[in-house]
Formats: sequence, C-alpha cells, structure tokens
Amino acid sequence: MFGLIDGNNFYVSCERAFDPTLIGKPVIVLSNNDGCAIARSAEAKALGIRMGEVWHLSKRKPEYREVIAKSSNYALYGDMSRRVLEVLSDHFARVEPYSIDEMFLDLTAFARVDYCRRVRDRVRRITKIPTCVGIGPTKTLAKLANKHAKTATGVSDFSNIDIRREAFATMPIDEIWGVGRANQTKLNELGIFTVEQFAALPSASVRKLMTVTGQRTHAELNGVSCLPLTLAPDQKQTAAVTRMFGRPVETWTDMREALAAHAARAAEKCRQHGLVASAMQVFFHTHPHNGDPWYHGQRSFEIEPTADSFAIISQAVSAGRSMWKPDTRYAKAGVILLDLQAPQDAPRDLLPTVDPVRSEKLMTALDAVNARFGRGTLRPGGIRQTTPWSTRANNRSPRYTTRLSDLMEVRA
Amino acid sequence: MISALPLLLMFCICSRMGEPAYKGAETTGFQSPAQDHVEAVPDLAELLELRRPQRYAVRVKGEGLRKRGIHGGDILVVNTDAEPRSGKVCVAFLHGDVVLAILIEKDGQWWLEPSNDAPQPVCDETEVWAMIAALVRTDV
Repeated sequence: MFGLIDGNNFYVSCERAFDPTLIGKPVIVLSNNDGCAIARSAEAKALGIRMGEVWHLSKRKPEYREVIAKSSNYALYGDMSRRVLEVLSDHFARVEPYSIDEMFLDLTAFARVDYCRRVRDRVRRITKIPTCVGIGPTKTLAKLANKHAKTATGVSDFSNIDIRREAFATMPIDEIWGVGRANQTKLNELGIFTVEQFAALPSASVRKLMTVTGQRTHAELNGVSCLPLTLAPDQKQTAAVTRMFGRPVETWTDMREALAAHAARAAEKCRQHGLVASAMQVFFHTHPHNGDPWYHGQRSFEIEPTADSFAIISQAVSAGRSMWKPDTRYAKAGVILLDLQAPQDAPRDLLPTVDPVRSEKLMTALDAVNARFGRGTLRPGGIRQTTPWSTRANNRSPRYTTRLSDLMEVRA
Repeated sequence: MISALPLLLMFCICSRMGEPAYKGAETTGFQSPAQDHVEAVPDLAELLELRRPQRYAVRVKGEGLRKRGIHGGDILVVNTDAEPRSGKVCVAFLHGDVVLAILIEKDGQWWLEPSNDAPQPVCDETEVWAMIAALVRTDV
C-alpha cells in the first residue's frame, strides 16, 4: 500500500513556521527573481491570486493591497524538507522523496488512516508544516487520494472502494497524476470530465488516445500497481544552471562573470553526483517580451570529459565570447552540462589537458570548504560574491535554520 | 593514481568531518607516535543534537530572563517535540511576537509568563513553539 504526504502550500508554511505575523494573512512566495507567485496561502488563493501570476503586473490591484509577497528562500525550504523527510523516516520503513514537498510512503497493513493521522500531527509539531496524506493501492491512487484529502479531513484512504467510488464521481480528470493539459482537452472533447468516466474507459482505447503512459495511469487508477517505490532518482543526464538577470546585462565583463558563475555551479552539481560531463551548451538571450530586439546566442559542443570547475568555466567563457554581440541588453544566460556519466565510463583522452588526480583533489577541497563555510566561500577567480547581475530577491526571509547570523530572534 | 588514493581518501574523510587534514602526523624526522591516533575536535553539533529534525537554534534578544541564566545574545537550542512542563522556559508565538516565556500549569490550565508582560492563557491564539533544551554562550 502507498501513501503520499505533501506539505500544504509548502513554501508559505515554511515562512509561517518562523514568522507569526504571516499567520492568517494572504501570503505568497515568488519565484527566482521575484517573478511569479509559486506558492499561495489559503487566504491568497481566496483573493483570486493564480499560480504563476506575474506579480509585478498585478500587485497594484486594490484587492491585493494586504498581500505579503516573500522572495523565495530555498535554503530554508530545503532544510525544512530535510526535517520532514527525517520525521517520516522514523515512522515508515521506506520513504521516497518525490519532490521538495511530496513524499511517497511504504505503508504496511498496520499503518493506515489512524497511523498516518498521528504521523501527520507529529510532522506538524516538529516542523510546523501542515500536511495532507493520501492512501491507495497504487501511486496514482495515493496521489489522487492526497488531492481529495485537501478538501476532506487531511487524510483520505482510496484503498476503501466506497470512498474511492464516491470521490471519483465528482473529481475532474485534471486532478489525475499524469493527465496534462493536452490529454485533458482530448478527453473533454470526447465528453469525459470526471475520474469515474475516465476509469471506466476500456484500456485499449486509452492506449490509442494517450499512448502506453496513459494506459499505465488508467491501470493504476483501477488498482493495478505499475509504479513501484523508487528510492533513488535515475542518474542525472544534465546539470543546468540558467538564470534571468536581476537587471539587463550589457557589458562583456558582467556576462563573462555570469557565465563563469553558472559554469562553476553546474560543475559543482555534476561533482555532487560523482559524474563528469562530456558536452556543454552555453546560451544567452535578450528579453522576449519587453520590446528589445531579439538576439539569442547558443552553442553546443563536446568537451574533454571533466567536472573540473576551471576547465568548464574557461570553455563556457570562450564559447560565450564567440557569440557575444555588443550594444545588446541580455535578460538571461545559462550553462548546461550534457552527457553526464561516471568518470570510468567516459571516453578518455590519450593526453588529457587536465591532470585528473590533481583536479580531483583541488575540486574535493573546493567543495569541502564550501560545504563547511557556506556556498560561495571559495570561488574560482573572476566571480564576485554579490554581483550587479545577481537574481533579485528583495523580500527574502532569513535563512533561519542554516546560518548562525540568521537565527530566529526570541524576545526575553 | 593508485598511490594518491589513500591520501585522497584520508582527505575526504577529514574534510567530511569539517576538519582540515592534520599535517603534523607526517613528520620528517622521527615518526610521530600519534600518527595512527589523529582525532577530530569534539563535535558540538553532535552534543546539541543539531542534526535531529526537532532541534532548532534561536537567538535571545533582551535581558528579561537573566534570573533564569539566559542573557541577550545567547543561542538557545530548542526542541519542538518535547513535552511541555510546568516551570520550564519555552519559545512561544504570542500576539504575533516570538517570545521566551515560563510555562505554568495551574488547575489544569496552562499559562505563559513572558518576562515583561502579564501571564497569558495558552489558547488558539498562542502557540508553544518549542521547549528550551540547551544554551550556547560565546562571549563569556
């Protein structure tokens, strides 16, 4: 039996855990660069703020006057997610972290509704995060039960056929895990609107309509488990670092620095997984919607397999240099490392330009210092700590749980 | 590559524990008798159980709890999973403020006693956020 637990409005709940002034107020959390609403409190949803709403365009609406908009604080959300996972690991034999705020649980015969309710209370007490739990004989049913739980009492059990049947009659098909916008349109055109109608379709016609993936979703809805609990993600294929700039970048000095920083971070991600990259893509472009002339420079090329920051930076920068066009206002840049593989699987050069042993030692030292003293403590030359092109985050809360300088203050 | 492996391994182990490799063990003259006994410094995060999910560090502001030995600037390590106990200091959300208060049980009713305010009954509007578990002071 599967369970799916997820944090209600997770990012907002993380903010509220440390700031009582946010409780009961309409609160939203903005995406990187303070762009769109990516988490909304119940009060904010009630005001009509949509997921992905571009905040700087709508914040002046009079009905949004009371809304508190926070910049995203991923150091905090990441640490709170860790705490949730650790509490769950105390209570379930196996927990699959599916995303930052959703975890699949392996439920035994004894761990059902009452047990899940108790765990949910414990997560709330320890992390201050309210959650909902869905239970089902398949992952897809557990996920759907979790949606149902939001409108019910916080825990829904779809292993109970009666509860399931009653819920299916009214739940729209877009609540099903794996049914996207395109499939929803297709099904609606055929007059299929509820989960009940979809589940009743013959398996063969679902396959014709939505390929084998849709057929699997359909089988799972009918109680046939096709997706097992996976404890480790598939090996990463790419490591991407792409960012909108806080303000337009117009000089090569700033662009070089941005590319170097993105390349360094991408290399670091690559090393975290113990992998090396054998190809790279570098791009930058102007803003697509602000009226500036469109320019998009992009280059993909093979590199000698490596995860060495210095090697990756220098190649990213020279690729950027080759497509640099002056007198242009750039809005976004990115470095994507491709074809990641384990070092022993990567093709080896006869005469490598990077000494692999020396490089590995240096990179291990670099990562160790940054892990201990905070990201960005040791940086390859040419990357400043705060930069004019950095992402905007005007209203980010303190990193309450990970930095001694940012601890929550308690008044005595 | 082979010869560098043990050294690299040692480096990894040391750096994992947040310690730079201790170079003095590799002496040039007499072999150090401590060579096989190099240990890391005591890990205060371990002592304070900071890696457990219910442990949070918070910073004290104000001198209202000096009688309980808690000074402004102190770091308190608190436990959000501890049973509330009468007479103990807790962190509470009170009227939109984060405060330290003494928790008191009287005739089945729980009260919060902040240092500079009248006692408040624990109700829906208040939250006992955590109980104090340990104190860290660096400017003794």
